Amino acid sequence: MINKISSFTGYSYLSIGPYSCLLDKRAITRNFILAAILVLVCIGGLGSGTVPLSPWEVVNALLGKGDAMAQFVVQELRLKRLLAGIYTGAAFSLAGCLMQTLARNRLATPGIIGIDNAAMAFAVSSIVSTSISIAPSAMALAGSATAAALAFGLSAHSGTRGYRFIVAGIAIGSVAGAMTQIMLSQVAVDTANTAYPWTVGSLNSPSKLMVHILGVGLLICLIGCLLLTHVFSLLPFSDPVVTGLGRNMKHLRLIALSLSILLTGLAVSVAGPVGLIALIGPEMARVLMQYRGTPLISSALTGSLIMVVADIAGRTAFSPVEIPVGILTSIVGGPYLIWVLIRQDTNRSL
Amino acid sequence: MAFLFHPIPSQRPMSSMLVPVYALFVLCCFCSLLFGAGSVSPMDAVQVLLGQGTDEAIFVVHELRLPRTIIGLIAGVCLGVSGVLMQSVTRNPLAEPGLLGVSAGSAFSVALALALGMSVATLPIELAQVGALVGCFFVIGIAKLQGQRNDPIRLVLAGAALTSLLTALTSLLLMYNEFAADEIRFWITGSIAGKRFDQLVEVVPSLVIASLCSLYIVRPLASLILGENVAIGLGYRPQRVRLIVVFVVALLVGTSTAIAGPIIFVGLVVPFVARALVGTDIRRTLWLCLPLGPLMIISADILSRLIAQPTEMPLGVLTAIIGAPVLLLIVRAQRLPTL
Repeated sequence: MINKISSFTGYSYLSIGPYSCLLDKRAITRNFILAAILVLVCIGGLGSGTVPLSPWEVVNALLGKGDAMAQFVVQELRLKRLLAGIYTGAAFSLAGCLMQTLARNRLATPGIIGIDNAAMAFAVSSIVSTSISIAPSAMALAGSATAAALAFGLSAHSGTRGYRFIVAGIAIGSVAGAMTQIMLSQVAVDTANTAYPWTVGSLNSPSKLMVHILGVGLLICLIGCLLLTHVFSLLPFSDPVVTGLGRNMKHLRLIALSLSILLTGLAVSVAGPVGLIALIGPEMARVLMQYRGTPLISSALTGSLIMVVADIAGRTAFSPVEIPVGILTSIVGGPYLIWVLIRQDTNRSL
Repeated sequence: MAFLFHPIPSQRPMSSMLVPVYALFVLCCFCSLLFGAGSVSPMDAVQVLLGQGTDEAIFVVHELRLPRTIIGLIAGVCLGVSGVLMQSVTRNPLAEPGLLGVSAGSAFSVALALALGMSVATLPIELAQVGALVGCFFVIGIAKLQGQRNDPIRLVLAGAALTSLLTALTSLLLMYNEFAADEIRFWITGSIAGKRFDQLVEVVPSLVIASLCSLYIVRPLASLILGENVAIGLGYRPQRVRLIVVFVVALLVGTSTAIAGPIIFVGLVVPFVARALVGTDIRRTLWLCLPLGPLMIISADILSRLIAQPTEMPLGVLTAIIGAPVLLLIVRAQRLPTL
């Protein structure tokens, strides 16, 4: 049941049995609007391509009605790619939001501190040597965990708030990138050419199995985030405040970091390093929501939205040439990052 | 003799450091001629150098290994010197053409030219130099915008952003032009293999101009490091010195990118090592950077030939693996060394 408590304007008080929480009404309405936009864009995306379909045909095809051709195009050809886009966008953005919050550094996203590249290097190593399709996911996870351990371990004495942490991450990322190139230069040209779009970040041909693995992982992480939202919203506070409120800061950071690593690793194994989504997504969520606290769910939604829009644009803008999403997001995200950096009074503490 | 091993780098005599480094450099050049993938053994190569040997060995040494070594030498000198110049003009120990996006600017302009139908063999190096110049101005612009009080590390981040943007644009060009793609994809990782002597003649004028200019600005730069006011008081014009440095760096980086592709981290590692050996004075480090740059590139090149026989590893990849730990080392230091 939902009660209104007048002293919390803008919030609803939700209590189910012994559990209760406050819901930010504005955030909820905006999230719903965002989700609705996402659905519309998805339908538009499913309809666009070499065989254009009207939104009505798309909906019919999704429901299993309409003509067989449309059903085949939508369900067999385009749906997998769309799902991959939604999942990876949400995963990258959520991972970025978690990591920014836990490092208390707006630039500390997995893509910038080298976690994407490391996951990529590990995944490529498994592709080069074996062909077991589940291995890349596992290897990517191992890679992202290694890079995160390195980045946070190396910043142990200087803290994660300044730019040093970020530049240490850049160094880790460039070593990992070099490793990937070494491995790709050792294999046959055809294999290297097939892997190329993936290494810049592309939704071109996601493996169905890995998309499903990512979907399951994302679901687990989203549920985890929903259950822990109130705990994660403590992350921006200082350690003594959190301890005073009865939470263990170390556990909190560990949970957030593990979720972030899991999401990044799985997403990289599907789409390659599209790391700038993790920078833009949470930022957009913060601006749109004017949110008090950590905009986890909104980040996931904005990330999906950006990814799907970028994929549609890359697919259709210069057709028949297809521009990988990784390139498109770099072109948009690079200038944004530069702008963040040269602003005089950069607000470092989120 | 004890003063040779003086604990303070800036008080060691120059010659005590220069002689071993130059000896190592010469040794490295010889190794580059002697070792390589394929059937020509070091003994055969020695015979060629003595004026004997089989035709095959003569061909391999004269036509394949010698040009490579010379290109490595030129690229190394260019990158090492441009690194030390950039670091002193931005007063930032992390300023490096590869990290700050200057090489990426140069690479992008080359990729653009290739996509528009030029071929790698006939590429004018001025093109790469113009790209490097644009990249330089961008970096200096950011350094100006962020002012003095800020973290020097932020500049690296801006460079990384610029690099990722330009790399993305370069990849976009690759998508468009399948034919150019294969050519660029090999070139973009940096390699000094498969070049011929006649390409080298083109770079001579740039090198002469650059070395004359750098001789002219070494002393003003050394005073500029003491502060703007000191430099003005000593009768130099800081603004003009900076402009010349930007020009020289663009010339050098453009040249090295045109002949060897974008090789990153050399400009970071070389001045770092030089400072560790003879201290921070640019009048001393510059002379040490001359052999150290080629030393790094040529030894990396030898490794790239030997590690994965019979194929080759991209050179840029190897320098990144050597350079990134050095970057970490600098960033992890308690106080960033001020220049």
